[in-house]
Amino acid sequence: MFKKILFATAGTPSCDAAARVSFDMAKRYNAKLFTIHVFGVPSRSFSQVLKDIRTGNEIDLHDDQLGKIKSELEETYEQQIKDYTPCETIVTNGIPHTEILRVARKKNIDLIVMGARTSTAKKMSPLSRNIIGSTLQGVARSAKCPVLIIGRAAASFWGGISNIVLGTDFSKASDRAFGFAFDLTLMFHASLHIFHAIDIRSDPYKNTKNQEVIEDRIREVRKMIRKKYISRMGSYADYEIDVWEGIPHVEVVKYSRENFADLIVVAHHTKKMIPEEEVFGSTVEQIVLRSNAPVISFNHPVRKKRDI
Amino acid sequence: MNGNLLCTSNPVDDKETLNALLKDRRGEQYYDEMTRLEVNTAALQQLLNDTCRSRIRTWLGICAHCGMCADACAFYLSNDNDPEQVPSYKIQSTLGKIVEKKGEVNNSFMRYAMDVAWGKCTCCNRCGLYCPFGIDMGVLMSYLRGLLFSQGFVPWEMKIGSGMHRIYRAQMDVTVEDWVDTCEWMVEEYEDEWPELKIPVDKKNSRIMYTVNAREAKHYPDDIAEAALLFSIAGEDWTVPGEGWEETSLAMFAGDWEGATLQVKSVYDAMDRLKPEKMVVTECGHAYRATVIEGPYWAGLKSGRTPVITQHYVEWVAEALRSGRLKIDPSKKIKEPVTYHDSCNYIRNGGLSRCGREIMSYIAEDFREMTPSGEHNFCCGGGGGLNGIGKYRKERNIAQRVKKDQILATGAKLVITPCHNCWDAIRDLEEEYKIGIRWSFLKPILLGMVIVPEHMKSKEVLK
Repeated sequence: MFKKILFATAGTPSCDAAARVSFDMAKRYNAKLFTIHVFGVPSRSFSQVLKDIRTGNEIDLHDDQLGKIKSELEETYEQQIKDYTPCETIVTNGIPHTEILRVARKKNIDLIVMGARTSTAKKMSPLSRNIIGSTLQGVARSAKCPVLIIGRAAASFWGGISNIVLGTDFSKASDRAFGFAFDLTLMFHASLHIFHAIDIRSDPYKNTKNQEVIEDRIREVRKMIRKKYISRMGSYADYEIDVWEGIPHVEVVKYSRENFADLIVVAHHTKKMIPEEEVFGSTVEQIVLRSNAPVISFNHPVRKKRDI
Repeated sequence: MNGNLLCTSNPVDDKETLNALLKDRRGEQYYDEMTRLEVNTAALQQLLNDTCRSRIRTWLGICAHCGMCADACAFYLSNDNDPEQVPSYKIQSTLGKIVEKKGEVNNSFMRYAMDVAWGKCTCCNRCGLYCPFGIDMGVLMSYLRGLLFSQGFVPWEMKIGSGMHRIYRAQMDVTVEDWVDTCEWMVEEYEDEWPELKIPVDKKNSRIMYTVNAREAKHYPDDIAEAALLFSIAGEDWTVPGEGWEETSLAMFAGDWEGATLQVKSVYDAMDRLKPEKMVVTECGHAYRATVIEGPYWAGLKSGRTPVITQHYVEWVAEALRSGRLKIDPSKKIKEPVTYHDSCNYIRNGGLSRCGREIMSYIAEDFREMTPSGEHNFCCGGGGGLNGIGKYRKERNIAQRVKKDQILATGAKLVITPCHNCWDAIRDLEEEYKIGIRWSFLKPILLGMVIVPEHMKSKEVLK
């Protein structure tokens, strides 16, 4: 399932948890692990001067510099690399999410692993702690493979996975996420928790005083889950269906905690965001930031394999 | 030449030389070697004899030193009316002297001339508009750059840029394969949401052949996808060329006449090969100037015109909005105050000021014009290649003060600019002066408000 894993890192401590998961997974699945670091953003038009992603300082693009950054990165993950050899380190410059997607396509990557944000920046404002990395947004929205996001350092990581939560909104992307979650469920002999949250902020539930309206909807949604998903699971019986009302990202986080989720599978499915939402992030991004469990975002059909 | 390895009068024609230059940290060795670069006065004199014709000699001769050009120059205004920043002074003290001395000039003079030609002028041509004799100092400055390039006195980044064009026919190391692959990639990236999206490569006899700025292929591939989407929404029959896809010209900024010619010829060849009705160039100002205004002369086209009619992106957008091929959802128009910055290269060289205003009338509810604007607009500070030249970064930042004040006076926090260099410069302006503005090309703005025909929408039901 995961033959080629791409670990996208800023090389900062904020990516350590994602590093641990990447190397563990590569080892477990005998996969080839590519570590990519996009170190400099072009900021001086066509010139050779770049802006360091971590510090914001100007850096120069020349071969020595590239080599230096590569060895720095390899030093950072020295222990892990020693422990597991099929690794390749890629150091490049450009707009980070563009370069990560470019490499994912070129190398036929099966899974991208990354942290929720790049910086452990000193200048971070109180508000920005709730803002997800723009790189993650760019990658998760467009990637043609699942993106595993390690938002907070969790205890279990990708160890034994017993409980998988699928958060669905019944979009086509969510349907694909179901297919992927079910594959994982079979692989791990895990329990699959299929979950939907009715957004009480949206019409027709906004300001509703009548709980019956909501509960009718809950019944309908449960039926929908049976029809859409359970019917595709054959005789597999280790599943649960739950539908709650509330604010979706909060409910998913609460539900996952209650069910000891080891992994949450969700779909992003909006390529471009409307500006008002950008600050607070979509449901998926909020889940990533709040949840203890790793989150897999699965949006697009998997890319057809290309000849390399 | 004095054992110089990097800084010579030879243009960069091979990857080995290019890589050697790229390895030099910020051109330290290059500029050090430049202090020992000999001026080949005989060659310079020959070049003057061959190329310095009556127009340039007349302009240099009739300048009355009246100073009417002074207040036209963003550098002069930003530098506390420094007399050495008066355009006529800048040109008389450099090109004027070279012509007067028939090329008998020395190394330090040439380095001074380089500092003026790239560090004190963006070739925005604004001064020419105010000269009572109609002397176009932007043109004179471009000519001076050509003389300097021929002797190797050219900023490090410009030498690299011109070399890129000579080797890759693009301002960056993007090959034709890279370019075509990027187009395919973008189709894959967007196919889920836009199942009908196509980027036809090398399709003959289409209505439009679209060419881009290499930075789009290299760093901003979504720009290509956005253009493709807008063409599709407008129902255009269009294509991109495989070879001849890049329309910019750092070679022009470098004064590399030969390199600039090679570059435009690659685009004209694509026109001849694909026979489109017209060409549309992306949101890039200098590319338009190079390919449409100057290029035909470099390529020796007697008509003075490109082989097929060529439009800047703003012309295409204005036309598409006017004809209703692009329809704007009125509820999605920009509500906040918004201003618009024209590139000097398509305004004063191409006379396209009307287009921007027309577009804004369709997309913005509170459009705030800068003062002055249109043909009289000030340069953003990033023209003439200055954006990318580290040596003159400080001078560039100072020259941006005029644009900063212009933007602030509008009260708008959003600046739309359909030009890569202006876009970069306005972003840098925010970084330098922190005036709290945002900046955008037209494409993402249009995509956010255009009415998408039913057949193009993904069948996916989003909740």
